[in-house]
Amino acid sequence: MKQKETVVYTTKKRSMMQESMHRLVKNKTAMAGLIVLLIVITLCALAGFICPEGYDKQDIMNKFISPCAEYPLGTDNLGRSMLARVLYGGRYSLFIGLAATIVAAGIGIIMGSVAAFYGGLVDNLIMRFLDAFNAIPDLLLAIAISSVMGGGVLNAILAIGISSVPAYARTARGPILAVKEQEFVEAARALDARDRRIIFRHILPNVLSPIIVHVSTGISGGIITAAALSFLGLGVQAPTPEWGALLSASRQYIREYPYLVTVPGVCIAMVVLAMNLFGDGLRDALDPKLKY
Amino acid sequence: MGRYILKRLLMMIPVLLSVVLLIFILQFITPGDPAKLQLGTDATNEEIENWHEKYGLNDPFAVQFTRYVWGIVSRGDFGNSWRNGQPITQEIISRWPTTFLLAILTTLVSVISGTLLGIYAALHRGSLGDAIARVIGILGISLPNFWFALMMILLFAVRLQWLPVSGFYGPLYWILPAGTLGVLGASSQMRITRSAMLDNINADFVRTARAKGQEERVITYHHILRNALIPILTNVGSRFAQNLTGTMILEQIFAIPGIGTLMVLAINKRDYPQLRASVILVAATVSVVNLLIDIAYAAADPRVKATFKSSSGNFLKFKKRAG
Amino acid sequence: MSDTEKILSIKDLTVHYLPPEEPACKAVNGVSFDIRKGETLGLVGETGAGKTTIALSILRLVQSPPGKILSGSIEFNGENLLEASEAHMRKIRGSEISMIFQDPMTALNPIDSVGDQIAEVVHLHSKCSRAEARIKVEEMLELVGIDKSRYKDYPHQFSGGMKQRVIIAMALACSPELLIADEPTTALDVTIQAQVLDMMNDLKKKLGSSVLLITHDLGIVAEMCDKVVVMYAGQVVEMGDKRSIFKHTSHPYTKGLFGSLPGAFPDSDRLKPIKGLMPDPAALPAGCKFADRCEFCTEQCRAREIGLTEVSEGHYVRCVLAEGGNHH
Repeated sequence: MKQKETVVYTTKKRSMMQESMHRLVKNKTAMAGLIVLLIVITLCALAGFICPEGYDKQDIMNKFISPCAEYPLGTDNLGRSMLARVLYGGRYSLFIGLAATIVAAGIGIIMGSVAAFYGGLVDNLIMRFLDAFNAIPDLLLAIAISSVMGGGVLNAILAIGISSVPAYARTARGPILAVKEQEFVEAARALDARDRRIIFRHILPNVLSPIIVHVSTGISGGIITAAALSFLGLGVQAPTPEWGALLSASRQYIREYPYLVTVPGVCIAMVVLAMNLFGDGLRDALDPKLKY
Repeated sequence: MGRYILKRLLMMIPVLLSVVLLIFILQFITPGDPAKLQLGTDATNEEIENWHEKYGLNDPFAVQFTRYVWGIVSRGDFGNSWRNGQPITQEIISRWPTTFLLAILTTLVSVISGTLLGIYAALHRGSLGDAIARVIGILGISLPNFWFALMMILLFAVRLQWLPVSGFYGPLYWILPAGTLGVLGASSQMRITRSAMLDNINADFVRTARAKGQEERVITYHHILRNALIPILTNVGSRFAQNLTGTMILEQIFAIPGIGTLMVLAINKRDYPQLRASVILVAATVSVVNLLIDIAYAAADPRVKATFKSSSGNFLKFKKRAG
Repeated sequence: MSDTEKILSIKDLTVHYLPPEEPACKAVNGVSFDIRKGETLGLVGETGAGKTTIALSILRLVQSPPGKILSGSIEFNGENLLEASEAHMRKIRGSEISMIFQDPMTALNPIDSVGDQIAEVVHLHSKCSRAEARIKVEEMLELVGIDKSRYKDYPHQFSGGMKQRVIIAMALACSPELLIADEPTTALDVTIQAQVLDMMNDLKKKLGSSVLLITHDLGIVAEMCDKVVVMYAGQVVEMGDKRSIFKHTSHPYTKGLFGSLPGAFPDSDRLKPIKGLMPDPAALPAGCKFADRCEFCTEQCRAREIGLTEVSEGHYVRCVLAEGGNHH
């Protein structure tokens, strides 16, 4: 009997997912965002082919060259090609955004699920703990963590990831609390399923939509936070060409060579905009009730 | 109501205490001896020992933590800076008004322009204006504020020379930082307002109001907007928190002598007591603002007010029955 | 019958919803009927037959876009409301014509006290001070059986039936000449339904209002109405006074409605539900719209549009069978 129930459930889920995908594909702005994103990812992945000399090849004779045929995005104060720095930098920015989101979502979803599922004292302890986190604005928390942990890509990922845990925990907890009392969970419980099994097989699939939406905007937020940390001299350090670090390094030349500041900023803005467009489309597709 | 506020104020105590604990623990997991960082590598062991003694770092964690909390609670004393040995509280108090003023200004710009734009977009859903507003909405949440600030400096201060590049000497200097951050913040306020308005725009009670013969202006502002107020108010709170941190970052760019420049200075000099104090101050401010917003909910929605009453015990019920 | 007695006269009303990139939804197609002073007219039909659209058209509250009133006229006291200015319509809404909506749970603004919501309509249509308005509101509350001490209470503190009383008080506060009640009791418990209907009947007599009662419940029609208009797929299929509709039911659809009603035919012990579903208003068939579900359907029915036939005085039927003049 239980098997039968599962079958009915999965077929229904699939058709719902298909319908969402259909809505997403029909959404022009979301698809435009996705295409931009794919192009940027491809370019960054191919950085080694496009700029085989690497991001750190200095050429003092050719410093501060404005964008031209040889250097499509110009060169910086050490004569390094900005195109190379931006392409390699994109790898770091995208990776940090993605990895920090995985850290945050992983920890947050587990904490939120455990809190919602066990309720009572456990819920209270976890949520009060997260309240403390929540009282500190995300970016400030990332700054504080980053400043004690020191620079580096890994530390930046951890600082950004940890500081955005509470939001994921809440995103997971709310729907789980609502789903928890529904009949099919009761049914699974009556059949003496183990707690872990109930969480992963029955509850998580139902709270996936809000989490997917949250993750899609979380990555872009992570990229911005990473850039802000580098900009303040925390997080990723020179000569690593993360986009925020490029901005930070170019800042002093803004009057004379504005392209040095414009180029990495436009990169961040473009990728984040593309992700947000896609994320908005994803939200509309997954939850048509929330039509914005 | 008064009881509810009191209760909420009491609930803030454990939260803020946890914040202090959290920040305090962070410092303890920091690798390396802070004394060596402050005194330099050629400091003698005696100098290091004296330094530890001076800042009370030889005591156990619990003692240090209790002393720190007690110092804040009893005298508002955040200890002394590792950087220059000066009392932190004084320096923070002298810089706080600047940051706070900018954060409030920024929030005003965000909330007023964002809400108005959101109302317009919702009322003209599908029009060209709505499309433009939505582009602004998504663009605003996609631009890093520090980069946008640099671009605005480039445009308004360097090219057009309408506004000063940096400094903080009067209202003219407020325009660029508050304007930049305010405009970016307006986008999220606009998105929230638009969707909250759309949630209510086709509500049955709106049709009821029309059937009464009510004018559209009153329907928009009284019936629709007031019902959309809860998410809008919530966003005002998160706007303020984000604008406060945003201000602290922009202070670097505009060379504004606020709490943010102090914090970055503290970070660079590994002056953790200073950093700690800044974070705690921000957390306390954000908590108070969120409390104010919770109270505003009650004014906006009688259903929320009803839950306030019930959570403040039987006192009000009793009063009602007696009266 | 002179025209002056008619308080409302709808002629050839056609309202379609025209969503972009989708076929037009033909909600109301050439509907005509009159309501006389003091009369209660029951507008009967299934969900989606176009009843609510007619009600909203009278108040000119059809949401536009996508809704559009394509043709026809709605004369209220001799004035065509479809040509009236918006400002003039606002004066009429709530004072001369008012409306009770289907779902009392959502029809009240959750953030205003019920007293203030009734006072809103009083202030809009009469120049009176706050104190006078308050007295009027308290009167209305008492009239619908709510204690006036609840003036400052909010909708969430009321049950569904009590909310509907508040809505009725609101609709009647300015003594309207015409009250439109759109399924006023559908969302309520059966016991509360009777109370609310009784109260509406009493108040109607007291104030001398005419009522357009929209319902799908023939039991309510039997109790409340003087005249009945039966609608199907946006058209009037049968209309007449209550007696002729109930005693000389002519249209197969109306018969079907009675057949779906438990206890309507005491001699038969089985329900005879109508088979199938109403056609999609975005894809209406040619000819008789009921043909697909009708057991008397012939080729003729689908060949041409069927007109209304007057089978006896004031009793009209839209059916091929009635056109012969011998069908009862």
